[in-house]
Amino acid sequence: MQYTLLITGSPYQTKACHSGLRFIKAALSKYPDSIKGVFFYEDAVLIGSQIAQPPRDEINLMKAWQDIAQQHNVPLYLCIAAAVRRGIINDTESRRYELEQHTLAEHFQLEGLGTLVDLMNTTNKIIQFR
Amino acid sequence: MKHTLIHLNTSPYANLACKEGLDLALVLATFEQAVDLCISGAALALLTDNQQPTAEHGKNLHKLLAGLEFYDIENLYIEKANTWLKDSNIWPGAKPLEETEWQALFSQYQQVFRF
Repeated sequence: MQYTLLITGSPYQTKACHSGLRFIKAALSKYPDSIKGVFFYEDAVLIGSQIAQPPRDEINLMKAWQDIAQQHNVPLYLCIAAAVRRGIINDTESRRYELEQHTLAEHFQLEGLGTLVDLMNTTNKIIQFR
Repeated sequence: MKHTLIHLNTSPYANLACKEGLDLALVLATFEQAVDLCISGAALALLTDNQQPTAEHGKNLHKLLAGLEFYDIENLYIEKANTWLKDSNIWPGAKPLEETEWQALFSQYQQVFRF
């Protein structure tokens, strides 16, 4: 069985990104191919900011998710509309908006909600963390 | 095809949750996925007529309701027990459900997303 995670809760106001991380670690440790992808929507897209600097004595949540993507080859998608309105911008969007910088962290990618629809149709279950 | 229920429970004026939940519903419908809506709690404010939000309040999401049928989103459910919702001052397309029907609603879908 393959799962997709839909994470919608803010990494600062909720524990959605933390709980999702715990779930994905547990799932991958037992079934390495059990996660098809992770889609971040609403304020959860803030997880993909490369310029956020958490205090050194706290978990670096963005890095923890990057490690998952890197070690297990799990794609981390951020909703492009939700991300751009919150200042999470990749190189392409940066050029489109004539900005001088981009803020999207490595191993995250901006995708439309159509990608979420595709994930819904190709995995057994979607689990929302909010 | 999976049948999806989008459950809105947050005030349309408190944050972007209502808007982004509706956005997801419209995208699902655009991709010809079966999707219904249900509304409870503070999100019920979305249904009341005569809303005139300013730019600071955010987009007028109430206006969007009239366009749902063009996306083939035909079911928007509310719970009948919300007696403060008078038929005359809310969007007429909402379908009120009895308490037992409302409770049974959530197990009728393959996926339920909450905003």
